[in-house]
Amino acid sequence: MPPTTSTSGKKRDKKLADVDGELCGVCQACATVCPVNAIEVTESYIKILPEKCTGCGVCVKVCPVGAIVLIDR
Amino acid sequence: MTNHIIVVGAGPAGSSAAMGALRAGAKVTIVDRKTNVGIPVQCGEAIGKTGPGVAEIEIPEESIRAPVRGFRIYSPGQVSVDYATKEPSGFIIDRRVFDKELFARATEAGADSLLGARVLDVTRSNGTIDGAVVRYNGQRQTLKAQIVIGADGVNSQIARLTGLRKAYKPDDIDSCFAYEMANCNLEVTDLMEFLLGSEVSPRGYIWIFPKGNGRANVGIGIGGGIETKTAKEYLDHFLKNHDVAKRQLNDAKVIETRVGALPVCGPNKVNVVNGALLVGDAAGQIHPITGGGMGYAMVCGSIAGRVAAESAQKETVTATNLQQYEKEWRKLYGAEFDQSLRLRELILQTEDATLDKLANIVTGESIVQLTAGKKVKIFMKAMSTGDRKLITLMQELRKLRMV
Repeated sequence: MPPTTSTSGKKRDKKLADVDGELCGVCQACATVCPVNAIEVTESYIKILPEKCTGCGVCVKVCPVGAIVLIDR
Repeated sequence: MTNHIIVVGAGPAGSSAAMGALRAGAKVTIVDRKTNVGIPVQCGEAIGKTGPGVAEIEIPEESIRAPVRGFRIYSPGQVSVDYATKEPSGFIIDRRVFDKELFARATEAGADSLLGARVLDVTRSNGTIDGAVVRYNGQRQTLKAQIVIGADGVNSQIARLTGLRKAYKPDDIDSCFAYEMANCNLEVTDLMEFLLGSEVSPRGYIWIFPKGNGRANVGIGIGGGIETKTAKEYLDHFLKNHDVAKRQLNDAKVIETRVGALPVCGPNKVNVVNGALLVGDAAGQIHPITGGGMGYAMVCGSIAGRVAAESAQKETVTATNLQQYEKEWRKLYGAEFDQSLRLRELILQTEDATLDKLANIVTGESIVQLTAGKKVKIFMKAMSTGDRKLITLMQELRKLRMV
């Protein structure tokens, strides 16, 4: 089922977290607060899984360097 | 068959757990997602002497940068309060050297290592965890073990996969940013400086830790829910505008930038399941006020390793058996975490102006006595001010009876 058709988060599902790899220092703050485990951490970068991300924006709040923004899907 | 334990994470908690398990005769493999242990540094790099002492793990000599005797706290209005012991009570270390050396020692003691292996899943048989699935060299690989120790940090995959930990709420973590700086002109080189205040660092603090030779670790932790500015913006603002920074760091140069996150809400309620346990940051074993965790990681790691090895030898790896680990570490630190959480709440509830008034009448020694529940003269001083908020704060501080 495509995310935009879910009943619970119809509005916010139109947003998607997007990370600026040049600013990101891979501290994983975002991943620790992500309620849907949509942030994958490797040794040198983080990856936001668009199929899981609900666009809730909690990761944006905790990023110490402002490397994450919400973009339109 | 030799009893086999997998330790996920090669930081201080993981290396200490490995050493604890090796001492108790188990076969150990340490797995880490990174290929370079200790890098990047995500820490203030302060460690007390007590933890390593209890864990019977020596602080690697070559990692020590500066001995410290205590702290200097600046209240929001820049009133400073010092507390220092005669002899050094801890050190500022270089985490790169420290982590690497502990890891090296664990391998020298007999641990196998698998670096660059990211945990994807855990395996179970009859509801008991009996291994981990990792991605290594681009391949999925299953590693079997009697017990999996999750020492994999604040964003522990083992914690999530075992169901021991759900996502943190933003206010349960601190968002951290730090610079390692050279050419600093520190006023004290054997005290750790802390700066409090809702303007300087909301729900957290700024730290300046001496690293010897004019170098310092200068950083900030702010509440994860703070949305006004990022941690980096708060620290940059401090460095540019604050008197304490201007006096000491005016000519300082940045030689490294660091980011990090840490739980400040106290340890997880449960850290064991059938076939697995959590230790260190993964278990939330971090001081809720200072954010310090290395000492706890080393002590709790050693206990976890030993209990895991003993349980594996007896082939009794149920949560009930691993409970021995919880019992032992909570006996050492349970009260300390509870009291510190209460103190944290108290500090967070206190207005900047009241903290300034408190700083004006106390000394480092008297505040330590007060929070230990002792009778101190400053209490009378506070009463004589007639300031109700200050008096209530001091009454609450006395009730903490810190150990």
